[in-house]
Order: sequence, then structure tokens, then C-alpha cells
Amino acid sequence: MYSYSIRTLDELKEFLHRAMQLEHATIPPYLTALYSIKPGVNQDATQVLRVIVVEEMLHLTIAANILNAIGGTPDLTRPDFAASYPASLPDGETDFKVSIQAFSREALATFLKIERPAQRPKHLAGKGLIQRKTPANTTALGSHPRHEDLHFYSIGEFYSAIAEGIEYLEAEAYRQGTTIFTGDRSRQITPEYYYSGGGTLFPVTDWKSALEAIALIIEQGEGDGGDIYDNDEHELAHYYRFEELVKGRYYQKGDQPGHPTGPQLQVDWEGAYPIKPNLKVAEIPEGSELREAATAFNARYGEFLQLLTRAYNGQPSLLLEAVPIMFEFRNTILELIRNPLPNHPGMNGSPTYEIPGSTKQAAPTRQSEVIA
Amino acid sequence: MLFPLESTLKADAKTVAASGEYDIVIVGSGISGAIIAKQAAEAGKRVLMLEAGTGANITLAGYDDLLTTFYSAVSKDNQSPFPLNANAAMPRSPQLRKLQAGETDSSTYIVQSGPYVSDTTYTRIFGGTTMHWEAKTPRMLRSDFKTRSIFGQGLDWPLSFEEIEEDYRLAEQEIGVSANVEDQQYLGQTFPGDYVFPMRGLPLSYLDQQVNKGIEGTSVELCGKTYPLKVRPYPQGRNSIPNPAYDGGKGYRPIGAVDTHQVEEGGRCQGNTNCVPLCPVQARYHSGKTLAKAFAVNAKAGERLVELLSQAVASKVNIDPDNGKVRSLEVKVYKDPASPAHEAITVRGKVFVFAAGAIETARLMLASGLRSTSGLVGRNLMDHAYLLNWALMPQICGTMRGTSSTGGIVDLRDGPFRERQAAFAIDIHNDGWGWATGAPTSDLLELVDDRNLHGADLRRGVVDRVSRQLLLAFMLEVMPDESNRITVDPQYTDALGNMRPILSFTVPEYTMKGAAYGRRFARTVFARLGAQDHTHYDPGDFGYVAYEGQGYAIRGGNHLAGTHIMGTTRTNSVVDKNQRSWDHENLYLVGGGSMPTIGTANVTLTLAAMCFRSSRDILKYLH
Repeated sequence: MYSYSIRTLDELKEFLHRAMQLEHATIPPYLTALYSIKPGVNQDATQVLRVIVVEEMLHLTIAANILNAIGGTPDLTRPDFAASYPASLPDGETDFKVSIQAFSREALATFLKIERPAQRPKHLAGKGLIQRKTPANTTALGSHPRHEDLHFYSIGEFYSAIAEGIEYLEAEAYRQGTTIFTGDRSRQITPEYYYSGGGTLFPVTDWKSALEAIALIIEQGEGDGGDIYDNDEHELAHYYRFEELVKGRYYQKGDQPGHPTGPQLQVDWEGAYPIKPNLKVAEIPEGSELREAATAFNARYGEFLQLLTRAYNGQPSLLLEAVPIMFEFRNTILELIRNPLPNHPGMNGSPTYEIPGSTKQAAPTRQSEVIA
Repeated sequence: MLFPLESTLKADAKTVAASGEYDIVIVGSGISGAIIAKQAAEAGKRVLMLEAGTGANITLAGYDDLLTTFYSAVSKDNQSPFPLNANAAMPRSPQLRKLQAGETDSSTYIVQSGPYVSDTTYTRIFGGTTMHWEAKTPRMLRSDFKTRSIFGQGLDWPLSFEEIEEDYRLAEQEIGVSANVEDQQYLGQTFPGDYVFPMRGLPLSYLDQQVNKGIEGTSVELCGKTYPLKVRPYPQGRNSIPNPAYDGGKGYRPIGAVDTHQVEEGGRCQGNTNCVPLCPVQARYHSGKTLAKAFAVNAKAGERLVELLSQAVASKVNIDPDNGKVRSLEVKVYKDPASPAHEAITVRGKVFVFAAGAIETARLMLASGLRSTSGLVGRNLMDHAYLLNWALMPQICGTMRGTSSTGGIVDLRDGPFRERQAAFAIDIHNDGWGWATGAPTSDLLELVDDRNLHGADLRRGVVDRVSRQLLLAFMLEVMPDESNRITVDPQYTDALGNMRPILSFTVPEYTMKGAAYGRRFARTVFARLGAQDHTHYDPGDFGYVAYEGQGYAIRGGNHLAGTHIMGTTRTNSVVDKNQRSWDHENLYLVGGGSMPTIGTANVTLTLAAMCFRSSRDILKYLH
């Protein structure tokens, strides 16, 4: 066991909260890139992004199921939940930044990093977490809940820590004749609430289903131990789907990683609206319609996170109400993305995902002003 | 759902012609052919499927191209997404005109020989008419199977409801029907034990609820019997919430969009109102979903059991004169939809299945000179007759939201009155007056051109006009009549030289009596709702039918049936109760054409159920 091993149930709950945060944090960048694509072009890219963003929603819900299974309380309204962009994600010995930006080569390069399968090199094996300073205003995704400066080598390693923690704590509990899976079953989100061709939503009730849930998250993202397809459904992992767009070719059965041999696909890298990356409300002139729309979107997104929180806390049927809100988001995001940003010639607006009440939000601008 | 990539490689015509004998040759990739192909492939049989269309929509990109065509089309009719293809032409209703007495109009693909001009359509493209269907999936009622015995009308089936019930459940599984058992138990319909539909029922639209509020608790009297009025939900072949109690608690996994690479798209029904002609998210079932499963067998079996040959139009059936069996099928394979250039190949198989729809299957038989011992091929053509009634509700009802049709008034689907007049089921159309008047485009043109509205006033004008629209579509029973028929004539041919179908049809008096009653019924309902009746039927309308001093515009329902009806002997029918030809033991004519009556149920669920039955018979025959 490494020094970062999870040793208490409370610690495990915190890790799962972080897992939900991480899964959720991928949604705004993917969704923004998806909706930045101009109508009539990039059909293949639209489909690839759409599948992946829907599966990230599945991962968020699965993480909530695991947390509920061990008696935790999912809370998407906690001030430390919503990420501030650019947020940092571990990428081996360094971090990289995840930005809100238009569909582009740069965006794809980031997305590939998010989903990249990563193994520690030999010289770092067993060396524990990697220490590096996270600036105060940056969300460090996939970091240790108690030590924001301690980073996992990869997202895969972060989830492995959770899986090991579950096994360790459940074995401990078993020896004492109990279990860590004491959660109320009615809080589990069941399959009827998720439907896409990729993956299934299932209730988590014991260590077996909990580990299956973690395996699903990892395999849908980065594949199954070097295989481009996941284990059960022979579904292409997110990393390789993004790679299809970069390489302009689909994968097919039997292909080796990095070498898709399926039919060609067309990507028009110019076929997206030029939005200003990581736009903040403060950068949009006061009194403008764009600012009003951006602020209203953020407020509504905050309400949406409250709704999800209630859904994950014993009222699963509320997820049905979340569906029309996602349509509402699509409409508002399209409005923001397709309108020019005042005072920034050639640039368009964007959703800012500055959720009211989040600690990492808004402060930076004012803080930097103070310092200045 | 994934189509394995190799299945989309078009089978090569030469290979097909040279590859000896298939176990089963299927003409048509609609739901009938798809079910039989899947059942046969799963039993290890070698299947060749012939499709007249280009097959381009097998990929999601191809499907989305159809959507783009639809979005940019001026007329949003049933066939608007589907490109013109003279080699596999199909009826397109906007081209119709009224006939003079004794006149024949050969300017459209179906030669209209009258007196009634039908705007009925079917789709000659990969997926067949499931590419444009509305996907309502009611079962036929018990009495619908024996209308001759009970009401002295129509014909009795050689099958009872009890004999087909289990296959109804298979069809509901295959299509993925969304409905609640408790909503479907009206008029004595029963479901076995703990049966639940694969997915939960779609909710009634706000418009349905508003209509229900105005009529619930009221009733109508007909032939001495009282019928309570209520809006009931329709069962639907579109994805909703899977029911965890399905299949003894195993649940149901809905099938989304099909494609040649993994897009995992095809969510649940999102209430887009353009279900007809094309669901933008493939939440609506189409037979490509069943074919994807058939092709998946190839991968499992490690050999190509199922092959699809597109751009292949079956042209002539060759019969072995010694034993009456089908020996081979002549097929014209074209290279390009824009050119009639083609090569003719001959395809051989142990069993032949014609699943090209009631009109094309009859056309192929007749063009091959096969009228059958009974002489009934092409005769007894049926299609539901639709009578549209439209009104403006007193309050905003949110019209144009939701699936095309979620609810209706269906309590007059059965009753002793059927001795005298046709039964009907009424659809409430969530897409407003579209079918009757071309709304909302027609409203927009009027507000702009005639009333010079623009800006906010125009927006308000459209909302005020459109969101109060109520369209009640009466789907009227049509009984079999031998003089209503499809014929062929060498003087009318298509681009490939195949004879085109000629349609002769008179709307039966039994149906018109139901229509006249339906019109009065609609007025009663509108009065109870306080809705303003805007219905009018133009004597110049191609479907105008006069009855007892009144005129009615009758529309086709695209529920084609009856051209090769099933029965008990070779003299009273074309096929037996397994849809096998009486005259040709290795030939199955499947689909709506086999139905002796259609009651007031949209035909797809019933014909899908019959194809499960036929699949078993075909496999038995091959063993």
C-alpha cells in the first residue's frame, strides 16, 4: 500500500465526492465543444462528442451510486464541487489545464489528455503521490481530498486508490462481521434513468458491484488495459474515439491502438464558432444581453446542480425533470456561442460555468485586482 | 446498435447470382423481411435480402442526410425525406389530382384508375415504411378476427386472437413498445398474467389532457348502446422508460440509433413532433434495428449468413411448371438511381419470401402472371380511410409539442353498431392542423402575406393560431372488397421497365356511413370542448367523396392490406394462416397483404406478429 491509501470510511466518502467532481468537470468542456460546432458540418465529431458527454453523465451518476451505497450524501452544491476553468488535471508528473473552448485541434488535444491511459514509469513505481503546488484559485481535479498539492499520476490511479480503499475497508468490516455497504437501496439510481447504447447504469449494493462500477468508468474512458474496446460491451473507449477525430479515420475490430483502419471521416477544424476560451462574466460588458444570458445560464446551472443533488438523495424520479433542462441548456449555450462578444472583434460569447456559491469562482479576478 | 461494418459493403450482384442457393431469399427490408431474416439467421440459415432502394441510410450519416432533405423540403409530406429514385419509385401524395368520371391518371407512380384517388403511400427505401411510420402499435381486438361471424361484415381470419396473442408479445418486444397495460385494457382487451410492455407508456400530451378535461364523464349513444368518452394513451413503437418488471423482472434494453460505427445515439423519445416522416434521434423503431441484430449473427457465426443486396428490384418470379415451386427470381440491379442502366441477375433459393408491402408484393406476382388459383392476388385491397376534423380550442393547448400522437378516443373501435357501419379510432394530433391544412407553414404564410404581420406581432400571431389547433383524425375501418384492387398493365411501366401498380378503389358504403357518423361525432366533441369548428372539405379535393348529400375528403392511411389475403382454402385465399402461398409451397407472401381485415388497429404490430409465426413455419419447412 502506498502512502495515499484510503484508511477510513470518511476518507473514502471524500474521495468519491472528488470522483463526482472530476466526472462532472469534464461535462462543461465537452458540452461547449459539442455546441460550438457549426450546423451542417462535423457530423462525425458531433456524434463522437455527444456519446462521450452522455457517458460522462453516466459516470457522474455511477459515482453517486457508489457514494450512496456506503451511506454517503452526494452534494453537487458544495462550494468546492463545481470546477473553475481552466481547471488542472494530473498528467503524469505535471498538470495540464482543462479549458472551456470551441471545438478545435487544441480542444481535442486536451480531451485526449483527459482520457489518456497512463501507467507510471518504472522509476516512479511505488513512490506515492506527486507533490506540486496548486494556485489558490485553481480547481485541482483528481488530487487528494485533504492535500490539494498531492496529485495522482493519472485519473486511472485516482480510481485505483478508490477501488483499493473499498476492498480494504470492506475486508476490515467483514472481519468485524459488518459491511461498509449500509446505504439505503432506494437512493440508488436504476437503469431506467439512463439510456444510451453505451454502458449501463446499475445499482451498487456490495463491493462486487462497486468495483464493477469503477471498472466501467475507467474502461469507458481509457479502455481495458491497452485494449481499445472495453471489456463487456466491446465499446470503443473515449480516448480512442477522440483519436478517431484527430486521425480522421474510424477504428474497427482488430485494430491496434494508434492505428485505426476503418472508414475515413471528415473533420472541419474551422467548422466551429470562435468563442473566447475560459470566458468570465466579468469580461462581458455590464448591461449587455450577452452578460444577462451568461448570468442567467449560470444561475440556472446552479439550480440544476441542486436538482441533481435531490435526485441523488432519494428522489431519482427528479432526473426526468433534468432532461428538459438539458434542452434548455442547449438552447442557451447556442445563443451564447453564436453571438459576438462585445469589445472582442472576431470572438463570440460562451457559457462561463461560474456557479453561484462556488468557492473557487469569481474571487480570482477581484483578488488579482487587489494584488495589482 | 451497431451494424457490423462488413454488412454495409454492398453484396456484389455477380457474387449473389453465382453463389448458388440461399436458404431464404427475402424481397424487401421493411419490418416483415427484417423479422424473418433475423429469426432465420439466428437459426443458422443463409439469407439474401433484396432491397430496391440505395441502402444509403444504413449508416447514421445516410439517415441524417434524409433528415437534412426533410428539413429543407418545402412540402413536409410523408415521403419528403426520401430522394427521388425512378428505379424504385414510390407514391408521393402532393402530386395527386381529382379524376373525372372514367378517367385514369398515369402521371404518378401508382396509376390512379379511380373512382377514388388514394394518397396512400409506402416507402421504397432501406427500412421500408418503418422509415416513415408513426409507430402507433395497438393490437387488433378479438372481434376484429371474426367480423363475418359477429357482424356479418368482411371476412373471418383463419386465426383467432388467442392463436396470435403470443406473437403479439414477440412483436412488442421486437419493436420495443411503450405502453401501460392498465391503459390498454379497454373494450375487453386482456393481457396474460403479469405481462408488462417492454417500456412504460408515454405520457398524454397537454393537448390530450385539455381534450380529456372537456369530454371525460360525457358519453354518446349509438344503436342503443352508451359509449363513455375519454382520451386514452396509444401504445407506441418508440423508446420511453424501460420497464424493470419486463420479462419476469429482467427488464428491457431499448435499442437506439443504428450505425456502422459506435455512436450510441438514439435516446428516448424527446417529443420532437416530426415523428412522421422521420424521427431525428431514432427513438422511433425502424426495421434497421431488427436487421442490425440479424447482421450481428454474422459476427457470432463467423460467416456471412445474412447478405443485403441494395439497388436490386425483383422483377419476375419463375415457377417450376412440374411442382409449382418458385425456381428463381429475376432481379434488376441498377448502378445509379439517376440512370435506368442495370444488369439482370437470377437469384435462387430454397424458400422465397416476398415482403415488399401489400402493393409491391401484389405487383410482383401479377407482373409475373401469378394470379393464384383463387384469382385473389391484388384484390381485397384495404387501407384505413381517414376523415380529418379540425377546430380551434378556446384556450392555448401547447399544440406542436410532443410526439405526433400520444392519445385518442378509441372507445368506438368496437360495438354492435359494426353490423351497420364502420368502427373508428380517433387520433388527437399533437402536430395541429398540419395534415389537413399544411399548418404551421400555411398559418405563417397567411399571417405574413395577408395580414402583413412581422416581429413580435407575428410571433404572437403564430402562437395564438397554432397552439390552439386541434385535429381529430378518424381512422375508419375498411372491409375487404374484391373490386378494390391492384392490377398491372404493360402500357404502364417504370424506368427499369417493371410494370407499375394500377389502383382501382371505391370507398365502401359501410366506411362512408362510419365517416358520416364520425363527422357528427366530431361536431359533438368540438361543442363539448367549446372549440370552433374549422373543418371544410373542398369538392375539388382529390379524395372528395359524396355520401347522402354531403361531401367528405377521405385520406389514405398508409395501412395497406389485403392483396394476398390468408384463408382456409386455396379457393378462398392466396396464402394459408402461416402466410405460405397455397399454389407455391416454397413461397411466402408476408405483410399487411395477408390480412383479411384490419379493424381499427394500425397494421404494423399485427403483421409483425404474423411474421414471427411465418418464421417458425419457414424453419420447419427447411428442416
